Amino acid sequence: MTEFDPRQTTNIRLQRFEDVRDLIGSPDHPTPLVRLNRVVPSEEAPLYLKLEWYNPFGSIKDRTALYLLRGLAERGELAGRQIVEPTSGNTGIALAALTAIMGIPITVTIPDGVPEEKKTLLRMLGAEVWATPDDLCPINHPKDGAIALAHSFVESEATRDRYVMPNQYENPDNVKAHYETTGPEIWQQTEGRVRWFFAGFGTCGTLTGVAKYLKERDPSVRIVAIEPNKGHRLPGLKNMTESKEPSILDRSLIDDIVRVDDEAAYAMTKRLFREEGLIVGPSTGAIVHAATQVAREADGLAVAISPDGGFKYASFFTDILGDEGLPT
Amino acid sequence: MAEHTIDARGLQCPAPIMRLFVIMKTAQTGDLVTITATDKGFTKDVAAWCHKTGHTLDAVDEADGLITARIRKA
Repeated sequence: MTEFDPRQTTNIRLQRFEDVRDLIGSPDHPTPLVRLNRVVPSEEAPLYLKLEWYNPFGSIKDRTALYLLRGLAERGELAGRQIVEPTSGNTGIALAALTAIMGIPITVTIPDGVPEEKKTLLRMLGAEVWATPDDLCPINHPKDGAIALAHSFVESEATRDRYVMPNQYENPDNVKAHYETTGPEIWQQTEGRVRWFFAGFGTCGTLTGVAKYLKERDPSVRIVAIEPNKGHRLPGLKNMTESKEPSILDRSLIDDIVRVDDEAAYAMTKRLFREEGLIVGPSTGAIVHAATQVAREADGLAVAISPDGGFKYASFFTDILGDEGLPT
Repeated sequence: MAEHTIDARGLQCPAPIMRLFVIMKTAQTGDLVTITATDKGFTKDVAAWCHKTGHTLDAVDEADGLITARIRKA
């Protein structure tokens, strides 16, 4: 009789983990899919939300960060350097958690408008945080001040030998993470029946990696990208006219782009809280709103990504609640 | 009135302006900040930044590739 090894079993009720990194989403340990039952009419084809906040550091970026760091280590680029990366928060959090475990110092540049909760989390994880105004350099620079600043760390004569940037916007390991984990999980979890996939334009690693995997198996799967408006307040998402398009994005894999404004995104986020009991971040609201706007055929099973949870956004939600929920 | 010094030599844009931005957050009105930089665009950048943020660019000199700017906090 073979001895039971809780590290090898795929029966999640019996699993125990020796390392927190094993909790990061993978085909052996996928993040859950949950059906939306109230924001989607019951007569419509099911829409499943993939809850990426089940990752150990709170977001889909846990996958990306693991692959980015693993790639750097494999290529010998980590040796004696510290990490610097521009990020809206979640990649920073995942990188900070992983580098903390690995004993590597990390500096994170983030846009000024990111909620305090994210900045605090990063500092709690031991990262040095540079909150960067978007229009830092008035002349000849991209609007993303955080990206420009991180690049200057690895390009400046005074600092370039001490820093290495994983570069989530241009590093193919970002796409690889989703091609090897998120995509296969979705295929597995829907038993190959997925027909629609919804995710946001951000670094575009999820969109590109998942699209590549799914279309290899079924070219008729429709990939829908969600794009916010200029000046939006949806951390993690990017408007491609105001931000530089990530080099890892493969537009040929995108079938449709749906633009969602902040109002609709936050309204759907509120609905997800109140009608589905899902505590999600506002980018999830944007993605789900887009998914509910697209007409799907009767057997059009859809999967939408919920990149992160709602706890880090309390300060943003306060702004949209007004006096709701306060006794009068 | 306090004086602050920033050595931004060998740092590429926007790092020198970012250093200035960070110091200005804790500086008091009237404080003088002296920053040295080697980035070629810095003379233009610092003038534009001061114009945008309302701080006073007292002086900016360039000698042998070294740019020294003196800014007074508004």
